[in-house]
Amino acid sequence: MSAEYLFYWSMAATGLGLILIGLWGVLTRKHILRIALAFTLADTGVNLILVWSGFLPGRSAPIVDSSVTQMVDPLPQALVLTSIVIGVAVAALFVVVGVLASRKSGSADIRHMKELKW
Amino acid sequence: MIRTIVGLAIVLILMAILITVVDDYTVPSALSGVGESYTETGVEDTGSVNLVTAVVVAYRGLDTLGEVVVLFSASTAVVLILTLIPIGSGPTPPSSIVSFTAGILPSAIILFGIYIITHGHLSPGGGFPGGAVVASAFLLVMLGSNTVPGKSKFLSSIESLAGLTFGLLGFWGMFAAGQFLNNLVLPAGSPGRIISAGIIPLISLAIGAKVASELSGIFSSYRKAGGEK
Repeated sequence: MSAEYLFYWSMAATGLGLILIGLWGVLTRKHILRIALAFTLADTGVNLILVWSGFLPGRSAPIVDSSVTQMVDPLPQALVLTSIVIGVAVAALFVVVGVLASRKSGSADIRHMKELKW
Repeated sequence: MIRTIVGLAIVLILMAILITVVDDYTVPSALSGVGESYTETGVEDTGSVNLVTAVVVAYRGLDTLGEVVVLFSASTAVVLILTLIPIGSGPTPPSSIVSFTAGILPSAIILFGIYIITHGHLSPGGGFPGGAVVASAFLLVMLGSNTVPGKSKFLSSIESLAGLTFGLLGFWGMFAAGQFLNNLVLPAGSPGRIISAGIIPLISLAIGAKVASELSGIFSSYRKAGGEK
């Protein structure tokens, strides 16, 4: 396996790993800010997989130059740029609502937040 | 305990599914149709050497306008919640390392952010990353001081002005070229020069100003929430 393909597949593995770690964190952590952190980890993993889906081994970045003949797909990268910004906005809102909920219930532990349980 | 077991089971099932998908994945040897046409005609269509910026600002400029709206509503929600319900317990004094760094670095960071914003059509960058870099300089200043930021009309006017500029540039394209956010109402110029690529640099500036002021607004409302008791 050449270095290019090693990079290619390790990028996919990192993305999948981040998604799984984030999901595991969201499902099992109890502190609300750790859940927010795990959520952003999963978000990063999804972004990495999206970039990877437009990436072809051995090609260069999509910036046109006289020396560049073959480049990767610019569309997923543009989508991920959008996705990162939305992720930041969602994370900021998540943290604020989380702090608010923890002040309301007196603890950052989600087991003490009973407003939405039935 | 049961939470860990269920969580682990779900994660393992998802992992099995994902590994099956990746196992069947064959490495593509050519670009998809849209990507191929972007890479072939992107420079002629937009004049932007950086094709990612060409897609973000020119081809899919309307989506970027929507994205700016999402960022705007999120930051408005954060500021609204933190203004109505003060939840903090006062800012902690900065360490000497942070306050020393905050005296030196911000001007260099802002310069670098402006470089990223203005070279968005030439090299990796553009309004969103550059705006985030500029906002990080504001964050550093805020963390380096022991005070709570006051009310700032300046930030919100920059934000409104930038959003308005983006919209008006879109309408300029609509009236001058019959297409909302048409890029070539200004000449494309020679690709690779800093003054080229139609209205892409102007839109990058507007996005950069908007992102920087919005993120600074979020940071300062976090800080303010820490100040009100």
